[in-house]
Amino acid sequence: MIAVDLTAMIDVVFQLIIFFMFTSQFGELRRTEIDLPREPGDETQARLEPAMIVDLTFDGVFYVESVETSLIEIERLAKQGVMTQDPADPFDVLIRPDRNAPAAHLDRLLLGLSTTGVERWKLATVDQGGGAP
Amino acid sequence: MSSGSQSKRRRRNSAQLGALPLTSMIDVVFLLLIFFLVTANFAQQEHKLPAALQTEGGGYSSSDLQPQILQIKMQSGEPIFVMGEVAVQGRAPLGAFLAKLPKEPGIAIKSDPMVPISAVAMALQSARDAGFIKRSYVPTDEK
Repeated sequence: MIAVDLTAMIDVVFQLIIFFMFTSQFGELRRTEIDLPREPGDETQARLEPAMIVDLTFDGVFYVESVETSLIEIERLAKQGVMTQDPADPFDVLIRPDRNAPAAHLDRLLLGLSTTGVERWKLATVDQGGGAP
Repeated sequence: MSSGSQSKRRRRNSAQLGALPLTSMIDVVFLLLIFFLVTANFAQQEHKLPAALQTEGGGYSSSDLQPQILQIKMQSGEPIFVMGEVAVQGRAPLGAFLAKLPKEPGIAIKSDPMVPISAVAMALQSARDAGFIKRSYVPTDEK
């Protein structure tokens, strides 16, 4: 009977698993580092990934996929998303704001999104022991 | 014991140590190292606070119950939460106030432009914790 050498195959399989685990982690790291509001959020939300993620800095600069993006471009992307949305899974936007940024920046973004037909949005938070006082 | 036999034994010991399969051990150690690096949490776990997006004067039909409007304002550099003639400040008083309100009509949150987003998040979180299912945010048009 021919002895099959499994060692090399197991080695390669391990390397592939690690590669895919790493690349999935980099997807998370693509987000801009932002001081998010400190709230526990809503744990009942089953859906994991929103259709679009917008980072909002203290100065009111918007980032999509870590690239500085104008409000006009965000509106164009949102309009595309709304047009191609699945009725069972409506297009929604996750906003990752700096907690100290004035609400005027958030309002500007949401007003822009409302013109494109976006009806749902989510505010990203981090849980740091029950929220800020 | 002669020095010749001692050196012979040393040589034999080193030959036995040299036979250890170090290559595969290093391979396994590296794999374990990479595994723990990958599974470690690089970023903080993020959570989400969902809300509906409502524009001023739109979105409700005449048959809908009008939502209760919670306005966030700034007073002496601190955010205050105002509904009608009631004004509260801080998380606990806001939570206690919202808990007393009827939940069916839902709640709409509005904020003044200079209010920090953390106060908007606090209002959304308190509304969620108070049991409001219908939560919406109404962005203010400064124009």
